[in-house]
Amino acid sequence: MEEEKKRETKNKKEKRNFLKLFAIAGIFAGVPSFVSKFFALVSKNDNENGEEPEGKSGEKYRWGMVIDLDLCTGCGACVIACKIENNIPPTGYTERDRGTEIEWMSLIPAGEDKDYMIPIPCLHCDNPPCTKVCPVGATYINDEGLVVQIWDRCIGCRYCQVSCPYERKFFTWKKPEWPETYLQWLNPDVPTRPKGVVEKCTFCSHRIRKLKERARDEDREIEDKELVRLPACAEVCPTGAITFGNLADPESTVSQLAKSPRAFRLGEHLGTEPKVIYLAKEKRKFISKEV
Amino acid sequence: MAVGEGEKIRKDRENKVSDVFDFFSIGKLKIGWILAVIFSLILILIGVISFAQQEKYGDIVTGLRTPGYGGVSWGLYVVFIIYFIGISFAGITISALTRIFGMKELRPLTRPAELLTIISLILGAMSVLADQGRVLYALLNLPRYARVMSPMFGTFTMVIAGYLFASLVYFYLSARADAWFMASRSRGFLRIFYKILALGFSGKTDDYLRHSYSSFWLAIFILPLLVTAHSTLGFIFGIQAGRPGWFSALQAPGFVIMAGISGTGMLVIIAYLLRRKIYKLEDVITEKAFRTLGTMLMILTITYIYFMIVEELTANYAAPRKEREVAHAIAFGPYAIPFWTTVVCLLVSFVMLFYQFVSGKTFIWINLLSSLLVNVAAVSKRFIIVVPSQTHGFYLAYPEGSYHISPVEIGIILGLVGFGILLYIIFAKIFPIIPLDTAGIREEPEEENLERTEYGTTLLLRRFAFVLTLLLGFILMIVGFLASARVGTKPYLDPPIPFAPVIFILGIMLSFISAVVYEVFPGKYRTQPSSEKF
Repeated sequence: MEEEKKRETKNKKEKRNFLKLFAIAGIFAGVPSFVSKFFALVSKNDNENGEEPEGKSGEKYRWGMVIDLDLCTGCGACVIACKIENNIPPTGYTERDRGTEIEWMSLIPAGEDKDYMIPIPCLHCDNPPCTKVCPVGATYINDEGLVVQIWDRCIGCRYCQVSCPYERKFFTWKKPEWPETYLQWLNPDVPTRPKGVVEKCTFCSHRIRKLKERARDEDREIEDKELVRLPACAEVCPTGAITFGNLADPESTVSQLAKSPRAFRLGEHLGTEPKVIYLAKEKRKFISKEV
Repeated sequence: MAVGEGEKIRKDRENKVSDVFDFFSIGKLKIGWILAVIFSLILILIGVISFAQQEKYGDIVTGLRTPGYGGVSWGLYVVFIIYFIGISFAGITISALTRIFGMKELRPLTRPAELLTIISLILGAMSVLADQGRVLYALLNLPRYARVMSPMFGTFTMVIAGYLFASLVYFYLSARADAWFMASRSRGFLRIFYKILALGFSGKTDDYLRHSYSSFWLAIFILPLLVTAHSTLGFIFGIQAGRPGWFSALQAPGFVIMAGISGTGMLVIIAYLLRRKIYKLEDVITEKAFRTLGTMLMILTITYIYFMIVEELTANYAAPRKEREVAHAIAFGPYAIPFWTTVVCLLVSFVMLFYQFVSGKTFIWINLLSSLLVNVAAVSKRFIIVVPSQTHGFYLAYPEGSYHISPVEIGIILGLVGFGILLYIIFAKIFPIIPLDTAGIREEPEEENLERTEYGTTLLLRRFAFVLTLLLGFILMIVGFLASARVGTKPYLDPPIPFAPVIFILGIMLSFISAVVYEVFPGKYRTQPSSEKF
């Protein structure tokens, strides 16, 4: 009998403890609302300080590119121009170098039988898979729609590289090296990247920045004709197949071209919403069955 | 009632309680142990040399290359991150199951299992670092900028910090009674060492009662953490829409089950070594324990075989073409060897374990063999999860790639394995590897007969300190989580509070430390007649 009583009291105690735990849990339930209010306050302050509101439509610029495959001859000038403009080290052809080359802009085989080549930079998706997975926020999509990479913050986990459906992210497998005569040609506007980070096409954001600064100094708006051949790849294209510009401006050349009935984008079914638009009369020639 | 052979050995051992140091050869150097240390040191040396190569020349010394340009970006390191973290499944699960469902036969294995968890999590963390292009920046930037939105956040915080720390707390609290016992049997430096470990445990009835209470609740809280941790690993692959073969809701549960398989398998191997080869513990680690583990392994294996069948049917019959291509490359293409290895290993171990289950007998060799096989399967299955989608899963017309594992990668993995072995055998040399009460050396009082003897203000103060720590932990956890998630700010900005991920991790740690606070808070007690039994 005594033992039973003891057990009963023990059970009661346990019940009481359980109730206490529930009470504590109740207190915790209140905490998140406080915290969210706190953060709401913080973000409100940000807006009051004069930052522009979020959202694609509210932005002044939304950079995009149109590549006309009917004009493209596959000469590869854009690939070389990009490498020189952005301080990308040249790569050899030995077995050891296989798969280590970095080409922000490259010519890749296209079409069902791979008998065509298409130039492909980073597509600067509006809904990029790579920025969703970066553990440290080293890659993100900025207010102007550029998918950018902070090389200094990147830890080299290569998660963005495996998540990119277009393979447009490049890891620096080794310390970049240039032949001595090349060193004097390095572009001072673009930093060189150390070994062990992921790098990518920036739509030549340093050129955009310079143009913006010049326009600000001269107290005028950026004109469309200044933008059309702005990136290095567009500048050198002998047939003018690559056009760059502001997609937020409906009057710009890229916006006009993007409305063309020849326009298509790569990997539409993935929902990544690329901002690089291709033009081709017969797009079957250039894309495999899915894309 | 006939007294069994095991019972006799147990009685003998009880008479020789003072021989606990001899029995576990604690502090005594044996030739086998020294050889094991030398072996693991050689492995570590290989690992260090390989890692130095990789740090000096960059990842070009590995077999990894740009996907789409002929290589894979994630290779052996990622395979072993998943494998190591997967093994860690066993320890805490076994302990928690023993605690929650009272599986008595597994109690001797709780400490080896928890130790396995802790060490494999450390190895997992180290292999994460080995995979990074810039290790130093990873160590600096993850605490500063880690984003909740990345599944990697789960790997870095939930798994490595939360899960590891929870395991440490659980492991430590259940070792205190033994530390106290060891302190009473030793003198000099060792005595101080064990005293510090025991941290106030003195065999009072309250100590036992509190421990049974806190470990029950810890077990309850650790189990969901465990499922979350292994699921986030699955999500690393499961959310990749751009990679045929990865985008699947089955990834997360599959990772949890596969973790259970490899972890339970590794525990059986360790139990076998402890039982037969090292300590002669036939009466402690019973055949029933092997049978229970074997049954668990059987259920997990058939579950995973079911998952694989579902996976293959989905990917082969009416799937999009690219999914089918990847599945075809895995089953009949360049990855046929690891794929069929996985299938054969899983099937053979299931059949053997099923035979053991229905026959009603226990075959230790069946358990051991199937444990080895499922661990092979665990590595090869992870390989065919990680690699083929990077070499064959392109939506654009990139040429197919291949992956050649380099000596550097193998060297680093060997080094990690060696480090794990070293940690394990060093621990076994300074602390009894089996809970002493289950080995019949220390007597654990029956819980029903215990009475609380604590009285006075400390009774309240203890509760207060416990609740305060827990509360603080939860608050830090929530604040750190929300700040790391950039709630209320633009998602690409830095966290509004500096070092927000660290705050989150501290919150997790503090929440679990509350259990330690609850147990070690000093108190006032009435005199106890039974406290000085030894």
